Amino acid sequence: MFSDMTNPLPELLTTLITIAVVVGAIPGVCNYLILLERKLSAWMQDRIGPNRVGPKGLLQPLADGIKLLLKEEVIPGHVDRILFLLAPGISVFTALLAFAVVPFGPVGEPGVPSFLRFIIAPGIDIGLVFIFSIGSLAVYGVVLGGWASNNKYSALGALRASAQVVSYEIPLGMSVLGIALISGTMNLEQIMMQQIEGGILGWNIWFQPVAAVMFFTASLAEANRLPFDLAECEQELIGGWHTEYSALKWALFFLGEYTHMITISLLTAILFLGGWHFPGIAEAGGEASIISWVIKLGVLLTKALAFICIMIALRWTIPRFRFDQLMELAWRVMIPLSLANLLMVMICKHFEFSLWWLLPGSAGLFAAWGSISASLRAAERASRPGYVKQQQGAATAAAGSAH
Amino acid sequence: MTETITRVFWSWNPVAVSGLALWIAGILWMMPGGVVTAAKTRIPGLLFTVAGLVLVLSSFGGAIGELSEELMFWVFAIAALLCGTLMITSRNPVYAALWFALATLSTCGLFMLQSAPFLAAATVIVYAGAVIVTFLFVIMLAQQSGAAGYDQTAGGTLPATLASFLLLGAVFYLVNTTAPEVRRVAPLADSLRLTTSAENAVAAGEAAGGGASLQAVPVEEILAQEQRDSEQPAVQPNLLSRATESHPVGSMKGLGRSLFGDYLFAVELAGTILLIACIGAIAVAPRREEGAI
Repeated sequence: MFSDMTNPLPELLTTLITIAVVVGAIPGVCNYLILLERKLSAWMQDRIGPNRVGPKGLLQPLADGIKLLLKEEVIPGHVDRILFLLAPGISVFTALLAFAVVPFGPVGEPGVPSFLRFIIAPGIDIGLVFIFSIGSLAVYGVVLGGWASNNKYSALGALRASAQVVSYEIPLGMSVLGIALISGTMNLEQIMMQQIEGGILGWNIWFQPVAAVMFFTASLAEANRLPFDLAECEQELIGGWHTEYSALKWALFFLGEYTHMITISLLTAILFLGGWHFPGIAEAGGEASIISWVIKLGVLLTKALAFICIMIALRWTIPRFRFDQLMELAWRVMIPLSLANLLMVMICKHFEFSLWWLLPGSAGLFAAWGSISASLRAAERASRPGYVKQQQGAATAAAGSAH
Repeated sequence: MTETITRVFWSWNPVAVSGLALWIAGILWMMPGGVVTAAKTRIPGLLFTVAGLVLVLSSFGGAIGELSEELMFWVFAIAALLCGTLMITSRNPVYAALWFALATLSTCGLFMLQSAPFLAAATVIVYAGAVIVTFLFVIMLAQQSGAAGYDQTAGGTLPATLASFLLLGAVFYLVNTTAPEVRRVAPLADSLRLTTSAENAVAAGEAAGGGASLQAVPVEEILAQEQRDSEQPAVQPNLLSRATESHPVGSMKGLGRSLFGDYLFAVELAGTILLIACIGAIAVAPRREEGAI
């Protein structure tokens, strides 16, 4: 492409165009994701959902956007003004920054015009680590917003959010270490290309199914999505950290959340499901034509959309965790499980076993962990002070109903 | 002892010494409950600090490289030191924690300039996490209005400032005498690989050629320098951690080879110490009754 690097201008121009496209597209996509969420939620609850604005309610996001723009900006008198205004900006900034190293299309494929790059910063050696480091900054928006609001509900929400994010960062990072070991790199483009060259049997999900589930779960927790949205749990905390926010500042928090969702779904597709590869539709080494790269782009974005739909469906499927359950899931289940998974990959790599041993290994690990957790749980319940009385009560109730 | 200390300051050029003095004055001005207690505004202190920082840094000289790189060095270096100063002089614990986070981020920018992107990312993860824990304590312990009197004052300002600047002067002196010029080990372009995606796909050799415009020192020159270094009996770097064309010093692979080749013993020792601390923390933590949260 630009083999003559003495003139950095085309490179700079490409980067600027890519940044402009991403920053321009993400708010629009987020708006329509909100419509998708409302429609899907309505469908799951047997309602119709928004259908008044435009044909089939398709202009609803526009109306929502205008409403949020024109709404009165309320800044309560008792807040810390600087941080109150800074917090939504930090939320969006970190979410967009993490997107810089995520490839969102067929990067470097033949046939793609030189000014289309599908990644803002290509060839970053530390891709995965970069995403995690930016992810650890994302919680600042929530914590600062909650603290600056000077409201006990906001402060409690911020407290919960920081504890949750600090805990779930560990399984999030450790679950993909196996992928890094298998691929021998942390560069997202290279991880994607290695899977694509292996065909459908080269997808990482076959070797790391448990890690895929853990990664997806931990990223839901990082994004504060249900069932991990204790930071904004309505019946306990009103709105949590965004109780005092209104209008566009409130919208910016949610722009950050939805951008985070897009990043997570793209990452899950790239790390575990072979990126833009799909057998029979988009294979490696095809001819260089416009149709081929458009199809590849479509495959990757469809996979990401599927994950977003799963996230939305999860919202109405699994109830919110209690706080101790949340912490237990991270510290007692996911961290040991990801360590065991990592150990398995290390053994496999060191003794040069076939990677396919990892599939039954993962299944066995999952089953073993489930049975250990269940028996621990039963033992813990049996040791509770009220357990004998409960059992007796249940027995009498059963006897009573038998009569 | 006294002789050494006097020599530190007399051997220094007047620009750096006056810069340090200005910086001290700025800190003392801004410190809550410090020497200048009557001061209503912190702006003169801030100006003193910035002027002092510019003087101190200019006596060092900037990074060796292109203009953009030098500019970035200046921005990051001044930001790091200024944020550090604001952190210790801040009256509000939340702002202190935020300044600390900003100081860390600026330092990470300096790491990036030194071709250590992994170190930068790891520092953000570790320190940003630490700052969030600080926030936890702030939210739990400090009131938002900051009405508590103990948040507003600092004890022993003057001796503490002077002692820390004495230490800083000693560090400067050591740097000045033992390592007059800091050599770049890897060019920026190699580890960050600021090339187009197509070039990433093609051979690594071509990619290295593509990044030539951003290279400060060619790889061959560094390798030759390392070769000269290794010929001396005192320096014998591990073969594993030797930088090569495909694994330059700043890359993840180069770092991994160095950590688990040259410094394996130190890494294992650090890991063991951390494990001991972890076990100790669990042992010390009070146990609750079964079933209680």
